[in-house]
Amino acid sequence: MSTKVTINRLATGVPGLDEVLGGGLPEFSFNLIAGPPGCGKTTLAHQMMFALATPERPALFFTVLGEPPLKMLRYQQQFDFFDSEAINQSIRYVNLADDTLAGDLDEVLRRIVSEVEAHSPALVFVDSFRSVVLASQTQNNPNNNLPQFVQQLGMLMTTWQATTFLIGEYFTETDTNPIFTVADGLIWLRQSVQRNSMVRKMEIMKMRGQPTLPGLHTFRIASSGIKVFAPAPFNPVEAPLEFPIKRLAMGVPQLDEMLGGGLPCGYSLLVAGPSGSGKSILAASFLAEGARNGETGVIAVFEQRPNHSQNATLANLIQCGKVGLVDSRAPDLSIDEIVHLLLGEIARLKATRVVIDSLSGFELALAPTFREDFRESLSRMVTALTSAGVSVLLTSELEDRYTDLRFSPYGTAFLTDAIIVQRYIEVQSRLLRIMAVVKVRASAHSDELRLYRIDDNGLQIGEMLPDQEGLLGGRPTRQLAVKGSG
Amino acid sequence: MSTLSEESRQIVASLTHRVGPNADIAKTAHAIISILQDIEAALTPVIGQQGVAALYRRSLHLCGSTHPRLTGPCDRVQAGQVLTALKSVLVEQSEADALFFGEMLLTIFYELLTTLIGPSLTARLLRGVWEPSLSDTPSQENSP
Repeated sequence: MSTKVTINRLATGVPGLDEVLGGGLPEFSFNLIAGPPGCGKTTLAHQMMFALATPERPALFFTVLGEPPLKMLRYQQQFDFFDSEAINQSIRYVNLADDTLAGDLDEVLRRIVSEVEAHSPALVFVDSFRSVVLASQTQNNPNNNLPQFVQQLGMLMTTWQATTFLIGEYFTETDTNPIFTVADGLIWLRQSVQRNSMVRKMEIMKMRGQPTLPGLHTFRIASSGIKVFAPAPFNPVEAPLEFPIKRLAMGVPQLDEMLGGGLPCGYSLLVAGPSGSGKSILAASFLAEGARNGETGVIAVFEQRPNHSQNATLANLIQCGKVGLVDSRAPDLSIDEIVHLLLGEIARLKATRVVIDSLSGFELALAPTFREDFRESLSRMVTALTSAGVSVLLTSELEDRYTDLRFSPYGTAFLTDAIIVQRYIEVQSRLLRIMAVVKVRASAHSDELRLYRIDDNGLQIGEMLPDQEGLLGGRPTRQLAVKGSG
Repeated sequence: MSTLSEESRQIVASLTHRVGPNADIAKTAHAIISILQDIEAALTPVIGQQGVAALYRRSLHLCGSTHPRLTGPCDRVQAGQVLTALKSVLVEQSEADALFFGEMLLTIFYELLTTLIGPSLTARLLRGVWEPSLSDTPSQENSP
């Protein structure tokens, strides 16, 4: 039996936050929620408070100078988590404005302690702690020793078995502030503004004794409250490949042949081609074939008017619930939010096939602040999806360049397990389409460049053009040798 | 609006209950002030003394359009002295006038708070103020 102390972890009631914190909030910890004005500190505090407070484990919310409590109540009520019935029952507000105005930290501490002793709260919130500090600085009171105040408050709250949150406005995390040292947990909220877009980000700068997820995590404030988009859990032990490899039919039999018998299950496939080459049609037939075999799918569409780009087959599949549609037109998406939406739909439908149509639209949907890391984002998305066990088809718009063979404008071709490339060629005054399988990892596949056309039944793959060469250059020429022998 | 009239019925009932039978003006004024004090006690921890004082001032101002004689003296005193000033004005009125004014002031105060923090939270915070009178009426939902 372990003789080490067990620290209970409280579920915060904020979606995604427990994951980011590394398993919830340590009980009796002394935490600081910091950030500039308007970044969601008070909302975060309220959401956790309403989730955690019970009549047996009540919460005390000390309001200090900052936001007038009347206004705070007025606005916090707009969130779904706000429950008026909890007030004065499991949640008690205590206004300390007058004590703080006097600027005597000892008096503020005395008031906090006496209220804590009177109500034995399991949770204590002080909003905003910054104003306590500022008030103390404006007074030339020799008894005002801020480090000592923080130290005492931290110790008292922990011994009083209260999980404590100080909410403070801080602009720079490099401030030498005694509270940063004393606090067990530092939750930093930020708003990152770039051009016309704003993204909210949260960082757990410190949480003693547990493995927090490092880095900045995006979150949104909706009417339900704060939602944190924790990165998808990464499964380090990938399921070993099963032999013989199970393969998925693409809905185009000749293409299955070219792939060496279909797309290996759990693979990611990039379909790259110029505008109008039929990438979306191939994606739709991939999903339709799945539905025909009793599988479900998810399609993420990143177009301004998704309804207009849908073909009838796909619309039907979405209508009858065999394919889930992720069509977030929310501005300033983050990769984690998109992955979160996708994984949610995949779990809901137990989907096995996923389509991202298209990477170009996906890039535009991302907030500008994430575009610099687009390759990295994409890599994380592909990893998250394939480690969820689904097979993914990504389409990528490719500007036709006849001087070189390119698969994606992002240098992302290496990320996917398989690649199909589509091109236009000019033959006898016609614009024809050709398709080739460029890569299928760990599998034999065709090396043919095949003509194909698009009709009402989808993609129809035709013959090779053995008497032409230079197809990838866009303007093939008739082979001289063929001419000579024929 | 039906909920609000329900609340104002509750306020009137509570006031009538506190005034009691055969009331004189001193008793009436005391009842009005005691309700206001209870409201203050209920709200001060939540919104602070200054917050309550500001709400009183606004309510009195709203009453002032019809009763400038009553609210006038309260405008000139400090925030903490509003109730004392109000009481000294009230005792100079007739019982009926004082009672009418009290009902109006309390109702306006309640409506004001409702527009700011919503009906459910207002009812929740002020529940304790009306309770003594409500415990007499039989068909009462008793909160645990």
